[in-house]
Amino acid sequence: MRVRTFGATAVAVALLTVAAGCGGGGSNNSTTSSGSSGGTAGGTATVLMGTAPDYLDPQLGYTTQSAEPDWIIYTPLLTYRHANGTSGGQLIPGLATALPTVSRDGLTYTLTLRRGLTYSNGTPVKASDFPYTIMRAIRVNWGGKSFYTNYIAGASAYDGGRASSISGIQADDATGRITIRLTQPYGAFANVLAFPSSGLVPRGTAMRNLSNTPPPGVGPYKYSSVSVNRGFTLTRNASFARFGIPNIPTGHLDTIRVTIVSNTQSEAQQVLNNQADVFDAGDTLPPSLLPQIESQASSRFARVPIPSTYYFFLNVTKPPFNNAKARQAVNMAIDREAMVRLASGFLKPTCWFLPEGIVGHPGNSVRCPYGTTPDLAAAKRLVQQSGTAGTAVTVWGEQRSPRREYVDYYTDLLNKLGFKAQERIVSDTVYFPTIGNAKTDPQTGFADWIQDFPNPSDFYLLMDGRSIQPTNNQNFSKVNDPHIQGELNRLNPVPATQLNSVANDWSTLDQYTASRAYVAVYGTETMPKFFSNRLDFGAAVFHPTYLNDWTSLQLR
Amino acid sequence: MTRFVVRRLISMVLVLFAISVLTFLIFQVIPNGDPAQRMAGRLSTPETVAAIRRTWGFDQPIWQQYLTTMKKIFSGEVISYTQQVNVLDQIKQDLPATLSLAIGAGIIWLVLGVLFGLLSAIRAGRFTDRALTVLALVGVSTPVFLLGAVALYFLAFRVQLFPNGGYVPLTSDPPQWLYHMILPWLVLSVLFIGIYSRVLRSNLLDTMNEDYVRTARAKGISERRVLLRHVLRNSLIPIVSLWSLDFAAVIGGGAILTESVFNLHGVGQYAAESIAQLDVPPVMVVVMFGAFFVVVLSAVTDVIFALLDPRIRLT
Amino acid sequence: MATVDSTVRAGAPAARGADAGPAQPAGIGPYRLALRRLRRNKVALAFGALFLLIVVLCLCAPLYAAHVAHTGPNDNHVTETVKVGGVAKDVVSPTGQPIGPTWHGRFLLGADQNGRDIAVRLLYGGRNSLEVGGIATLVTMTLATIVGIVAGFFRGFVDGVLARMLDLIWAYPVVLLGIALGTSLALGGITIGPIALHGNSLLVPAFIIGVVYIPYVAKPIRGQVLGLREQEFVDAARVGGAGPLRIMWSEILPNVSSTLVVFVPLMIANAILLEAALSYLGAGVQPPNPSWGTMISDGIRLIPSAMHLTFVPGAMLVLAVLGINVFGDGVRDALDPRAKVRLEEHAEEASR
Repeated sequence: MRVRTFGATAVAVALLTVAAGCGGGGSNNSTTSSGSSGGTAGGTATVLMGTAPDYLDPQLGYTTQSAEPDWIIYTPLLTYRHANGTSGGQLIPGLATALPTVSRDGLTYTLTLRRGLTYSNGTPVKASDFPYTIMRAIRVNWGGKSFYTNYIAGASAYDGGRASSISGIQADDATGRITIRLTQPYGAFANVLAFPSSGLVPRGTAMRNLSNTPPPGVGPYKYSSVSVNRGFTLTRNASFARFGIPNIPTGHLDTIRVTIVSNTQSEAQQVLNNQADVFDAGDTLPPSLLPQIESQASSRFARVPIPSTYYFFLNVTKPPFNNAKARQAVNMAIDREAMVRLASGFLKPTCWFLPEGIVGHPGNSVRCPYGTTPDLAAAKRLVQQSGTAGTAVTVWGEQRSPRREYVDYYTDLLNKLGFKAQERIVSDTVYFPTIGNAKTDPQTGFADWIQDFPNPSDFYLLMDGRSIQPTNNQNFSKVNDPHIQGELNRLNPVPATQLNSVANDWSTLDQYTASRAYVAVYGTETMPKFFSNRLDFGAAVFHPTYLNDWTSLQLR
Repeated sequence: MTRFVVRRLISMVLVLFAISVLTFLIFQVIPNGDPAQRMAGRLSTPETVAAIRRTWGFDQPIWQQYLTTMKKIFSGEVISYTQQVNVLDQIKQDLPATLSLAIGAGIIWLVLGVLFGLLSAIRAGRFTDRALTVLALVGVSTPVFLLGAVALYFLAFRVQLFPNGGYVPLTSDPPQWLYHMILPWLVLSVLFIGIYSRVLRSNLLDTMNEDYVRTARAKGISERRVLLRHVLRNSLIPIVSLWSLDFAAVIGGGAILTESVFNLHGVGQYAAESIAQLDVPPVMVVVMFGAFFVVVLSAVTDVIFALLDPRIRLT
Repeated sequence: MATVDSTVRAGAPAARGADAGPAQPAGIGPYRLALRRLRRNKVALAFGALFLLIVVLCLCAPLYAAHVAHTGPNDNHVTETVKVGGVAKDVVSPTGQPIGPTWHGRFLLGADQNGRDIAVRLLYGGRNSLEVGGIATLVTMTLATIVGIVAGFFRGFVDGVLARMLDLIWAYPVVLLGIALGTSLALGGITIGPIALHGNSLLVPAFIIGVVYIPYVAKPIRGQVLGLREQEFVDAARVGGAGPLRIMWSEILPNVSSTLVVFVPLMIANAILLEAALSYLGAGVQPPNPSWGTMISDGIRLIPSAMHLTFVPGAMLVLAVLGINVFGDGVRDALDPRAKVRLEEHAEEASR
């Protein structure tokens, strides 16, 4: 299971990141192309995916592979600008007429549904479809449903079967008015409304997995045929253009055929040989083909960083990493350049927990607390001083490449530092349940986080003492630092629209975290944008959250 | 005969039952293998996990979970954990690729295996025999995934003579189907050709020394006629029996490695992927499906041989 | 799969086991005779020597690592350089391409993605592969002999129960059973009585492979024992007051021993192949420990740019398995020129 969550950005993040002096995350040209550029309209393109989407049901999908089609088929009340880089994180009205009005206490969100909308099957869209959609996501147990149940009033009662509807959502079909009441102020709630799982489906849609026959949605495209684990086809949704929703392009291609191939080697070769058009960005480009791709197809291949953090967690409640010096030694010794090579170049080295593209990323001008060039000798001395040398360490890792290679390297490094490290590789499917289980209580190992939405609070969920739990724990280092908790209590409720006012606070917090060496961060993932020569490479948008924007694909 | 069939049927049911229990248990011993934790996702609360556990019945005693799963399998509504799709639909979808592989490769390895075995036996001890023996042993000693990967690299990547894996349904494009199947057929066949030619060779050599063959020769029947009429016919019996079981095994998802290397999306590959995801229901169905074919075909073979050869008694 | 003794099952040559009793020219023991025949089979001896050479090489792995390559099997050298013909070259390039064979002490056969010395890993991996093959064969032979003899000797109820258990493993697709057990046990480890094995222990795949192959040896032995127990010398022992255990040990076992000897090389070859197959599907020897199988499966992804990662361990594996297969072929011919036990039928199991 590829757990790659996705998300959204708050308004003005673009301006803010630039203001904060961060290294630019991708190009900033906002290609908001609703038919503005002059490519060929129509035609068919073939997208290859090496990993099948988890579900083709908008209320269940939770991987990049399912988000790519979902966000252009099921438009939520709010969505994101179809643009590259940080401007792609800008929240825009989707099926709602405008961004939500938020009450002064941050607890009430009010939106109005656009008039005259219909689903791709002709059914009119009603305001009451919204609460139904949220109920459906909760009932079918969407992987991120805690974003609803933790914040929407009455949602957890509905989840627990104590209520037949969500008391906190009021929807008036006559006026189109939708009011949502929260239990606590949550700055990123507007981002939650923009999840593809918040993408509206008709009231009465069955409350079970409909991946074989996905429900109708409102969006530039619709599913026209689906064969689970084989592929699916998207065709243009003719009715969508009539709605004239600003900033949501209607798409160029008539048909997008998606084929699942479980072999990335052949996936990459077909795109290289122009037998297929798009290499899915969520797949790993086989390193063995890189030399060929870089020499033969450099004009249609790029590495695009996406807001994500790759790190080794260091359990602060257990020896040896309850010793600060032992943790510092790891941070000091880790060779980030080696990690980049293990990733075949699909990694940008960093020591900060908040990645580039996220408010609060300290940036390259700030010096890493334990340096950027590895110092094995100094690190060894530190381990000796700490008295933890010789401690047995079990290093946990995932099976798939290059994550296995990261852990192979890391285990060897720990042994060189003087620990007695042993590797424990677990199949991808059970990796996170295993290391997140209190019974395992792992000492150290691989971890990653890819934004649900570009808000620093989404990342600091993994450093929040309150998120330590007996199963599916995500605070792998078990950090429970009073200073971090205090800052989070202050910073988390800040509405997404005002994030820039606290950018420096986040940055200071992130530098504090790095200096405490709670984790050993080594990089941010970059993803392949790789097309055939049939498509216009320059005009295609690579969205920071939803990757290749299929509405921007056009034939040359 | 009736007694035989009844006995075989009972034994088949027992074996299938035991296999399903074994498969189910294998996945129960995995620490943190609780499917509810996986289905709930990384960001789930313990409450969500508990809720999923209740809805799916993972909180019930193991034997009850087993019974529920079996009931669902036989009523055709068994659902996988990972994508929550109907397992039988998936198998139906994957079966054409597996059947294509089994039938094509089965014919190739039977024909070539017999041909090489015959050649080897006729020329026993001479160069042809030696060469074929070495070839057969090389075939038997090479892992099929290595052979497949090397073949793909040279024949599909360097020289683009064949497609780089994948399956095209026969119904949608027959020439492309053939084009995509040739390499997998050959690669899967290599091993069997090696085995069959060796088995046939020794059977032939044995039979040639049997009394009735000597008698036939003594009666002045031509060598060619002796070989075809008496020797080959008898030596083929074990070969055909071998073949039917191997064929059954390949249909039942036994060709996992070939299917994976060539990305055929067959039943075996489905099983392998399900195992990797610890997705128990599909694994149980595929394993029972495969075992069913093996057991049934072995019984059928026995019956056929009993009919052909009056010396054999069915027990 | 399951075709091992389909000949026995099919009934036709079912009588074969019966005449596998002691038939030997007066004066010379069967093994002396076999040895004499084997000595004349130069090809089999040459391949046997090849296998032995590979075993010895692999046993010398620590010497090679310490004195020639100066690195261990799990030592990473990702960002280091190595001098090739006076020019410093990256062990692993910035885009992750490992260096090919240098034909020098360091990185003689190139490096892998983690900058580990392939030659060193090849030898250590061979040790692991052979160890898995050897232990698996030991497990198979021991258990299969016990099950086969007991089932064949007692017949009736005991035989019924054992035969059903064998059927169970036999009808289970081998590779599927292997990866199911491998995946499960790699996560959980095994506890058999007082012995607790960690999930990443080499003994886990060895044990799995050993168990999976039991029916393929046990069934022919059972068939043979069924015939043997009716022989006069068994009756004589029985009349002489020998208990069943004693009869099995001193009368039956020696008479199936030639079959067992014939099976050993074959099982080693099959176990090595099955280990490779399991590793290819992620259920074999666990990282970072190398084995030929894991090295091949890790290398396959990189064939187009770093062929050596696949071809070096691949060639080694094929040579080792071929060596022991040809040698085993010779042993069989020598022990039983008319080849009553159709061993090839078993060979296919490991790979498909």
